[in-house]
This record gives sequence, structure tokens and C-alpha cells, in this order.
Amino acid sequence: MTAMLDVQNLVKRFPLAGTGKVVQAVNGVSFTIARGETLSLVGESGSGKTTVGRCILGLIDATAGDIEFDGKRMGRGRDIRSKVLRGRIQLVFQEPAESLDPRIRVGETLAEPLRHLGIGRADREKRAREVAEHLGLPARALDQFPPELSAGLQQRVGIGRAIITRPELVILDEPTSALDPTARAEIVDLLIRLQAEFGTAYLLITHDLSTVRFVSHRVAVLYLGTIVEEAPSEALFARPLHPYSVGLLASVLLPDPTLTHTSALRLEGEIPSPIDLPPGCPLAGRCPFADTRCHAERPAPVAVGPQHFVSCFHHQKIAALDSTIDNFARFQEESTKLLSVGAG
Amino acid sequence: MSGRAILDVADLWVGFPSYRQATQHALRGIDMRIAPGEMIGLVGESGSGKTTLARAVMGLVPPPGVIERGHVLFGGRNLAALGDEERRKVLGRELAMVIPNPRAELNPVQTVGRQISNIAFYHLGATRKEADRIALDMLRAVRIPDPERRFAAYPHELSGGMAQRVVIAIALVCSPKLVISDDATSGLDVTVQAQVLDLLQTMVREKGAATLFITRDIAITAHFCTRIAVIYAGEIVEIAETRSFFARPRHPYSIMLLAAFSHNPALRAKWTRSEESRRATAAGGCAFAARCVRRQPRCEQEAPPLRPSATGHEVRCHFPVEAAA
Repeated sequence: MTAMLDVQNLVKRFPLAGTGKVVQAVNGVSFTIARGETLSLVGESGSGKTTVGRCILGLIDATAGDIEFDGKRMGRGRDIRSKVLRGRIQLVFQEPAESLDPRIRVGETLAEPLRHLGIGRADREKRAREVAEHLGLPARALDQFPPELSAGLQQRVGIGRAIITRPELVILDEPTSALDPTARAEIVDLLIRLQAEFGTAYLLITHDLSTVRFVSHRVAVLYLGTIVEEAPSEALFARPLHPYSVGLLASVLLPDPTLTHTSALRLEGEIPSPIDLPPGCPLAGRCPFADTRCHAERPAPVAVGPQHFVSCFHHQKIAALDSTIDNFARFQEESTKLLSVGAG
Repeated sequence: MSGRAILDVADLWVGFPSYRQATQHALRGIDMRIAPGEMIGLVGESGSGKTTLARAVMGLVPPPGVIERGHVLFGGRNLAALGDEERRKVLGRELAMVIPNPRAELNPVQTVGRQISNIAFYHLGATRKEADRIALDMLRAVRIPDPERRFAAYPHELSGGMAQRVVIAIALVCSPKLVISDDATSGLDVTVQAQVLDLLQTMVREKGAATLFITRDIAITAHFCTRIAVIYAGEIVEIAETRSFFARPRHPYSIMLLAAFSHNPALRAKWTRSEESRRATAAGGCAFAARCVRRQPRCEQEAPPLRPSATGHEVRCHFPVEAAA
């Protein structure tokens, strides 16, 4: 598996004006994405997941680290948006209503990225119609304005605008968090279908673990700008080995009152401020397993299974916990039974 | 339960008159009773009328909305008929609200301690000193670390989770009889959301308050409510005990909401009609007919009433899903 995107030791710091302090948003993040693959970057607010996405796009410059796309090293600054790369990496935003211009018709919105590739008007319109069909947008929507559409349809337009250039990588920054569950499921279906059809790779940035479970091949869990665990999706949801992953998965509520979070591990407190981080494990302040070593020394990633890495000194203790948090799989079984009754 | 309901909503219609079009109805005949100490979850999509119902319960339907029919009785009184002064004595004391986006909703230029203390001062007739002590106790009760120092903090100095705890403290300081939570945890991260929900549930139980828990996330209601009411286009389409509801939902819309969590696209498709049909609702028929996978000709002509079923659910459907799988 050759990597299409290879991110090594990405670091991003934001100096705080006038204080001499720095926000350590991203602290040495490394990962790869292969063609046609979905990697989910999971974390709470303040974990640095959006900053990682922005660095890859070149919207902001990384403080340190290497980003390679299709074997070419991407430099700092403007050349990241060079003609060679243009349209090959695209972005879908979180808030569809805010990321679409309310005064530009949907058809034109969809076709706009093609203008920057020097494609003529007739071709642009043709491609916009094709994309609208792929998205399941009603034909009349092309002549409507974004505010006339529901949030779910607006997000389809956001996705369409990204895929119209046939990108190899799409960065999805919280694409479903502003949507109702029903609309969310439809967007997830659409993303899966588009990937199967075009072989697009996704970097899915989100805190919505149910969506992650649907679409990802691999998952990287981010906490305070550090990847604490990385694993194939199934392995992570079946047996998370980092205390933070365990706590995160145990916090997810599923629509079944019999599946309560019974995990022995419950995270207290909240993600601390990323300003002037102490040495040691980023989770040390919230982790019930933390000892003096955790506060002094940063654990390095350890391979614990195929493609499964954990950065925790105590991962064996976590593995020994009687973990019953594989509620996701149990819920799916129950849900399948429930939904299999006749729809008539 | 009928005699001692703390909240009694009967055949409530709320309309928003419009200059050009016919009146838009946000609520179309809501019936709902909440017993003391009960936690009822009200689930629906954006635009289904959830928040309008919350406002109607408080007697605060925003103009130009009007209650056209039916009534809302809180502890036997019609809040909408009270004068502003009289209503203010009830709101915050007997009926409290937990709001989302606390950092935006709290007063930015007053310390959080003072904002809690004010409620005790005005509603409980406490002296300033007593009120401050009550506020400090509340900060402790909602498990805010270092409460003495946080008492003097301003809302922007708190994290979202901490600010949400302050809002819970404000809502519960007078031991209200009914707490309305309107999407109160929607902006929080999952680990914080779990903590805040646990806290809200514990506090509400301790104070013996009833709760109207409004949310668009049906998963939350499964774990924090005793009964579930599903609202669609201003009508309650199903209402049932929590366990029974999730074990065997009867209304096609309830099942569609649950299907959104399935990983099986074929099963989801089986219960979900595309969003395109959302706005096309035939007049006179079932409001859900346009999106219903079980729709029959009768559904487009005749609106079904909310009927009790054999499983104890009340369902608004001509062809509810069978009780036994």
C-alpha cells in the first residue's frame, strides 16, 4: 500500500500576542492515507483536528513537519496551491449554510471550482448537471439559491462543489455535525457511494463516532494535538486500548436503553487548554491509570496489532479490563432485528 | 396520573399568521401530560415544533404566534393568561429552563456566582448573604471544581461544560416543579455531554422535579427519560414508555429516526424516503404521508388521530407497524 498522503511529525504552534506563550495546537502528528481510503481523525474541540486539516490544505503553514502528496513534498506557503495540485485536494466544510454564498445559484456554486481550472462555461454547466445527478439533487435545485434548500441538501451542494474537480483527496471537516440524524445518514450514504464510484480518499475530521463507524477504514484518535491511538476501524471499536479512546467510546449514547455505558473507565474533567503543555502524557491529568512516569515522560506509539498503535504506558492494563463497551456491534444486531420487520 | 399532572397540555394549536399565505401552524393539537418527577423526552427534527411547545408551556409564544385552540395548564394555572409580573414569579421558581449555548446566553458582565445568587435573592426572598451562600452550595452541587474561585468568574472564563453546569445550577436553585431542557447539551463534546447529562439527571431526581427533555438526538432520550414523545410537523405521532418504545416502535417515523443509526444502508433505505419529498404534504391527509414508506391511498385523504394501541403506545397512524416481530 503506497501512501498518497504522507504526513510526518506535523507541528503547529500559534504564538499568543504579547504574552510569550504559545498554543501547542498540533504536536508531532504522523499518518498516511492510501488511494481510495478513509482515515478518520477523531477528537474533541481543542484536540487540533481542524488545524491538521488546514495544514494539509495549505490554508495555514505548519511550524514543522513534512507533508507529501502523491510522492511530492509540499512546501510551505503558496506553492501548495500550485497549478499541479489545483483541484486534487478539496475541502468540505462543517456548516453548509455558512460556507455557501447565499446569492449564488446552486448550479453556479457547484461549477465554480472548474473556473479556476480554466474550463469553459458550456462544459462547466454540463459537469454541474452530472454532479447534481450523482448527489441526488432535484433538477430544479440548480436554479435555486442555497437558503432555499434544507440543511441536508445544502451539504450535498458542499460535497458536490468539492468532488466536481474529481479530487484524489477530500478533507471532510465535521461534514455531518450540523445535520439531523436522518439527513446525516443520507450524507454518509452519499459519501460511501461517491468513494466507491470515484475512488476518492477521505480524511474525515469529526467528533461524531457513529459516523466514523460507518465510513472509515482506519481511525486516528487525537488528544491535545497528539495521536494517542491509531487502528483499523473495526479493531478500535471492538477493543480500544488507550484510556482516552475507551472513555470517548463509552461516552457515546446509542438509541437503546438496554445498552448503557458500563465501562470501568470514566474520564473526569475536560480537555485542558493547549497553552504551554506540561511534559508527559497529554491525558495524565484526567487518566485514572496515571502514575509518576506518565506525568514526566511522553509515551511513544507501540504496535499492538496489525496497523494498531497505542501511545500509553499502561495499555496492557487497559486490555485486561473487562471491557464491555463493544455496544456498537451489539446495537447493530438489535437494530437489524428491529428494522427487519415488514415495511409493507 | 390524570389528577396530579404538573403539566397538562390539551389539544394545543399554535398558529403564526402570515400576511400573504395562510396561517402556518407550528403546533397542531398537542396532547401531553407530565406527572411530578417524570422525565419525558420530546424528540423531533428541526422545525417540528419542539421549541414552540416549550415556549407555549412557559406562556411565551413569540409574536405573531397565537394559541388558537386548547390550553396549557402548569400546576392548574394558565401561564399565558397571567400578567407579565405574575408570570415572572412562576418562571425561574416553579418552572425553569436549561438552555443551550450557555456562554452566549449568560450575562457576560456579571459573575456566574451573582447570576445564581440573583435567582435565590429575587425568588426565595433570601438576603444577599444567604443568596450568595445558596449560590456557592449550588456550584458545589453541580460539581464545579474550586467553587469559591469560580463564584467570581465571568461566563467567558469558563469552558462550555462548566458554563452548562452553571446553567443547571441557575435552573435548579429554587427546586422547580418542572425543568424544560431544550437541546441543552447539543454544543458539547461527547465526554462532557455524558458528564453534564448524568449531572442533570441526578440533580433533577434529587430535587424531585419533572423534566421535559427536548432534543433532536433520540439516543440521549433512551438513557435519560422515562417516556418518549415523538413530534412531527407539530403533532405527536407516538408516545410510549422508554423501554417499550425502543423495543418496538410503532410509528413509521419513529422507526425512521432509529434507522438513521443503522450501518446497513439497505435497511435504512427500507424505512427512509428521500428528503426531496419533505415539503410536499397533501392537505387533509397524514402529515407524514409524503415521507412514509408504508403510505396507502387512505393516508393522503384522512388524517389519523392519536390512538392507544395494544402495546400501551399511543400512535398516530392508520397502519402502525405490527407489535410482534
